[in-house]
This record gives sequence, structure tokens and C-alpha cells, in this order.
Amino acid sequence: MKIEVDFGLCEANAICMGIIPEVFQVDEQDYLHVLSDEVTPENEAQIRDAVRQCPRQAISIVE
Amino acid sequence: MTQAELVFDPFSEEFFNNPFDIYRRMQDEAPVYYHPEMDFYALTRHEDVAGAFKDHETYSSAYGTDLATVKAGERQLPMIIFLDPPEHRHMRSLLNKAFTPRTIQAQRDTVIEQIDRFLAAADPDNFDVVQDFSGPFPVEVITRMAGVPEEYRQQVRVWIDTSLHREPGQMEMGEAGMQANIETAMYYYGLVQERRANPQDDMISKLIAAEIPDDDGNMRQLDDIEICGFATLLGGAGAETVTKLLGTAVVNFARFPEQWQKLLDDRSKIPAAVEELLRYEGPVQYNVRYSLKEAHLHGVTIPAGKPVFVIGAAANRDPRAFTDADTFDIDRDRTEAQNLGLGYGIHSCLGAALARMESAIALERLLDFMPRYEVQWDRLERVHMQNVAGWHTVPVKVLR
Repeated sequence: MKIEVDFGLCEANAICMGIIPEVFQVDEQDYLHVLSDEVTPENEAQIRDAVRQCPRQAISIVE
Repeated sequence: MTQAELVFDPFSEEFFNNPFDIYRRMQDEAPVYYHPEMDFYALTRHEDVAGAFKDHETYSSAYGTDLATVKAGERQLPMIIFLDPPEHRHMRSLLNKAFTPRTIQAQRDTVIEQIDRFLAAADPDNFDVVQDFSGPFPVEVITRMAGVPEEYRQQVRVWIDTSLHREPGQMEMGEAGMQANIETAMYYYGLVQERRANPQDDMISKLIAAEIPDDDGNMRQLDDIEICGFATLLGGAGAETVTKLLGTAVVNFARFPEQWQKLLDDRSKIPAAVEELLRYEGPVQYNVRYSLKEAHLHGVTIPAGKPVFVIGAAANRDPRAFTDADTFDIDRDRTEAQNLGLGYGIHSCLGAALARMESAIALERLLDFMPRYEVQWDRLERVHMQNVAGWHTVPVKVLR
């Protein structure tokens, strides 16, 4: 499973970064970087929380 | 004993006074509520409300977001809240960079300055949290960002209040409301002409310079109506809401003083308190959508072409989504479900980061200004408005 971000929807609210900064980083220019797009058993719960909490629904998990 | 018939009348005194008992009954007894006389549907469960906010292909905003305009069935002015994709995406992209949590930090000094200005003028023995403080300061911040000169900023607030006001039983805007809208439009039209001639570093000037793709994919500039619409909306959405949130905050912290004590003891809890205020009793009760096609939920079919109340304030109290949903607890587990207080999906609040910052700084300053206070309960007055709820006056006495 991999993380997919719709950058047209993302508005750099940085909620995802607050939940799991090892995976999501919003930089000084308000661009979101996905530092590692693999969903692993260790980070899956937090990534699913980030997907759900994103106010823009910009993040999804693809098989 | 038989229970009274379940009636959700969004313009009744009963609803203005306490919507939450009605919401709970709707969730339990009629998750797809239908009002036969007014011919609208309503969703109240968290799962259904979040689903409707996401599904803009079924639940359109293009016919308005309040019952009267949706019932009229006409396409609305091209304001961003009345747009569906793809136009919505184009308009939103013009200003969303100005509202990210990072860029909004540039407004921090202005917010502090305005908050301190109104608190410095306040009388601790006779302080009305709404009229003296949470009403006047947010409108200063947002209209300054938009480009409104100082002498007109409070006037903008008067126009907004007049335009949103509803008497109990009144669904449509009254005479005074329409007059306020005309004056707002004329004022912004004049301001746009001034900025066209002499651009400044403000949002109206940015909108004048901006380009969006038209239906054929060619780039075009916004017209005067679109820019005035955007400016009007910024003033309303950016002022009204924080005003209500803070009035409600002071009332709820007086009802649950142990929660205020938590903040006095540990100010790092302020951001969590803002989130809980947005959940427990946020300013926005509902948004009305228009069904573009049939929707099927809980064995009920919502036909195409109907107004649908999507009630975020009910969803935020849904026990199916939140443990002890009716308990105001700033320490609650915020990962249980999405907080819908700032909306969700493509129309989620553009000014969310500004709202959070203003509310957090205001709470911080109120903790200093009135660590102990009493609400003058007999002098509390609610607003009667279309889709926003809160207090018109919150008189308090600061205790020494």
C-alpha cells in the first residue's frame, strides 16, 4: 500500500505533519513532501488517521 | 407517555434556544429527517454528514447554502461557497495560499494589537464579551487583510449582522437585510474601482490581478461582481464566526469552570480547547445543499432536486462518533472522529488557520484579563440568525 496526495486539493494545513512528521513534511514554501510513501504495519494507524483528519481529503492510500 | 412529535424547524425559537435535544432525536429516530411542509431533508449522524460534505457530486452548493435560496432553485452569484468543481477549485486557488497556517503567522501581530486594543478599553465590572471584544476585533483583522480602510471596518460588521439576522419564524432575509446587502455591494464596488486605479498589497488587489480559466480553458480576469462577492464573503465568514465562538467559549467555561481551571493551570492546552469549542458548540450549525441526484441512506431515498440540511453541529455531538459526546472536555481524545466544526471536504473553512490563531490568542488574553469571572446569566441574549448560532451579548463581571 502506498500514500497518494492530490496536490490540487492540499492547502498545507499541516494536520498530517502534526500526526506523523516522519512521513509528511510541509516546507517553508507550504509544499507538502511525502518523505516515504510506503504504508507499513508500524505507521499504518497514524497514516489512516492523517487520511481521515485531512480537512481537504487530499491524502489517500492506494493498494 | 408518548413523546412529542419530532419537528425540526430551523427558524423556531425552540431551535435557536437549544438545538441539541432535537438533533439527538433526529439521529436516533430519523437519521434522514424529512420536513413535509417545508419540503427539505436533514442529515445529523456523523457518518452521513461527513459523507455529504465529501460528496459534492450529489450534494451541490451551486443553488445556495441556506433554505430560502436553495428552495428558490436558482443558480447563485458566483461566490466561492456557491460553486461546485471545477469553478470552485479555480476560485479557491486564488486565495488559499494567503490562508495557510504558515502565511497566516504574518497576521499574528495585527491580531494581538487588535485584541489588546479592545481589552484595554474594556471595563472589568461591566464587560460584554461579545459587544466589547469578540464582535469588534476579528472584523478588524479580516477586513484589513481584504483591503478595507480603517474607518469602514466596523461598518462591515454592522452590515453582516443585519444581513444574517432572522426573526423567529422568518426564513427569508428581511427588508433591512436586503438594504444592508445593497450597501455592502455598493461599498465594495467603489473600493474595487479604487484598487483597480491604485493597487495595494491587499486581497482585493490580488483578486483584481488574478486570472482563472474560463469554460473554454482560456485565462480570464475576475469581474467586479466576483470580486465584490469574494470580499463580502471574506468579511462575513472571517468575522462573524470567531465572534460567536468566543462568546460561546466564555459561557461554556462558566458552565464548566473546571475546564477553565485546566487552562489557567496549563496554557499549552489552549489549542485543544479551541478544537473542543469547535466540536461542542461551534458557530456554524448547518449548511444546506441541493441534491443533484438521488441519495439512498438508512432505507430512505432523498430524491433529486431537494434541499438537504447537512448539520455539522449535530454530527459533532453524535455518540456514534465521540465518547461522551455531550460532555465538554478539552482533554478529549481528538483522534476518535473528524471534528466537523470547520467543515470538511472542498468547502472546508478557508480561514481555519486564522480562526484558530485568533481564538487561541483571545483565550490567552482572556485568561489574563478575567482569570475568575461570573456570567450575568439573566442578561444573556442569543443571536437569531440563519445557520450561525451564538450569543448577541455575554455580560460578565470580572472577580478580583
